[in-house]
Amino acid sequence: MALHTSDSEQAGETPPTDSGSPLLEARGLNLQHAGGAGVSDLSLQLQRGDIVGLLGLNGAGKSTTLRLLCGALVPDSGSVHVSGYSLADAPLQARARIGYLPDQPPLYNDMRVSEYLTLTGRIRGLDRQQTAIRRTQIIDQCDLGDVQGKIIGTLSKGFRQRVGLAQALIHEPAVVLLDEPANGLDPQQMEGMRQLIADIGKEQAIIFSTHLLNEVTATCNRVAIIHAGRLTSDRPYHGEELETVFQEAIA
Amino acid sequence: MISIIARHEGLSLLRSMQVWIIMALLAGLFGFQFLKQLEVFLSVQARLALQDHPVGLTGFMSVRYLEPLALAFTLIAPLFAMRSFSDEFRLQTYALWQSSPVSAVSLTLGKFLGVFLILLLNVVLAIALLGAMQLLIAIDWPLLLSAGVGLSLCTAACAACGLYFSSLTRHSLIAIMASLALLFISWMLGSIGSGALPLQGLAEFSIATHLHGFFQGYVQTRDIAFFVLMTLLFLGLTIIRLDSLRQKGHS
Repeated sequence: MALHTSDSEQAGETPPTDSGSPLLEARGLNLQHAGGAGVSDLSLQLQRGDIVGLLGLNGAGKSTTLRLLCGALVPDSGSVHVSGYSLADAPLQARARIGYLPDQPPLYNDMRVSEYLTLTGRIRGLDRQQTAIRRTQIIDQCDLGDVQGKIIGTLSKGFRQRVGLAQALIHEPAVVLLDEPANGLDPQQMEGMRQLIADIGKEQAIIFSTHLLNEVTATCNRVAIIHAGRLTSDRPYHGEELETVFQEAIA
Repeated sequence: MISIIARHEGLSLLRSMQVWIIMALLAGLFGFQFLKQLEVFLSVQARLALQDHPVGLTGFMSVRYLEPLALAFTLIAPLFAMRSFSDEFRLQTYALWQSSPVSAVSLTLGKFLGVFLILLLNVVLAIALLGAMQLLIAIDWPLLLSAGVGLSLCTAACAACGLYFSSLTRHSLIAIMASLALLFISWMLGSIGSGALPLQGLAEFSIATHLHGFFQGYVQTRDIAFFVLMTLLFLGLTIIRLDSLRQKGHS
């Protein structure tokens, strides 16, 4: 249940989709002139409850795909709709429904964790009261209670990753895009991250990139494989041998 | 949204040790320049009183104390603005804004206001130093206000210039050098334009030309328009630059 009420540009709007529509729908995305890897004719749909593992080799286009889906990049052609809002025609409404954690968490090293989460809640359109409520919840959810008063620059990589995840989730987005979320986490933290992803995946749609196959097997109910900028496989995942699926997809 | 971003930007500046050092040096410069010019005024006061239109303390100090400070603000404003975007690019925190429901217009205006308000505190300090003389002698408040408006407009234009160059690169040093070079040229155009007739038109693009009247109590529409247009030009260019970052795919 996303909270989007305070931003004047979003207030009082009803999403133009019914409950059966996909939370995220990308059609024919092409991007050839990006600084990173390109993407060709990429189409993808995410429904509520989908937890999609986006697999691919280094440079396959995973991060570029996620940046296209969150609106940080504009495709040469193709479209992205989030909860029915087009990223091209209604970018603010669409982006308000996305939570994005890049591979390098976008953290201000001179801010305290609680200050930072307040800022990210406010710029995602939550009012003061909602931000305070959600900040408390997300600090609890991401197990940041012990470090909420600390300066971000002094945190370990694992905590920084969790603060990054918290900023992506604070506004209860419909779609959560995570780029290598397990980066820098120790085994115990990875287990916590899996549990968190499983929890939020019940109400939201999640897509996360990784090149760790065991991350996908432990968490996902769907797997998408990208190779040389093309989505070569997109299928439900029911616990089959992923190594074979992956090798077939990139062959 | 603009106020949230402005607050964040202002607080970021105030968290920086460099900014406090610059502000302390600036306050020292104000004090030194003020006392020096006050001493000069006291030494020539008797001679000034013999003129047909004797210049009072405010008129004297406006030209001898406040007008040179405009050059200091021209140098300081880009220093305050240089990190606004280039640091976001370098530290990869810009992804937060790219994926948030924040338009390029809101982001640019928010960051500009954050920087400008901190600079404005310094302008107020410089003016207050002279205004405090009211305790001892009658001050020509309209003239002082005119000088304050001139300093503020000049500072706003220079801050907008610094903000634009900051949006062009991830290297703060390059941003500051480029903006200072442009502003220096703009100052020099006044000297070049006062020479031969074909070059006189260049003086119209000089900061110095349009600033001088404010310190003599002449608030002219064309001078106000020059600084407002210069500010809007650089803010507009910054907005275009931020939009193009989504197209070009790098930050």
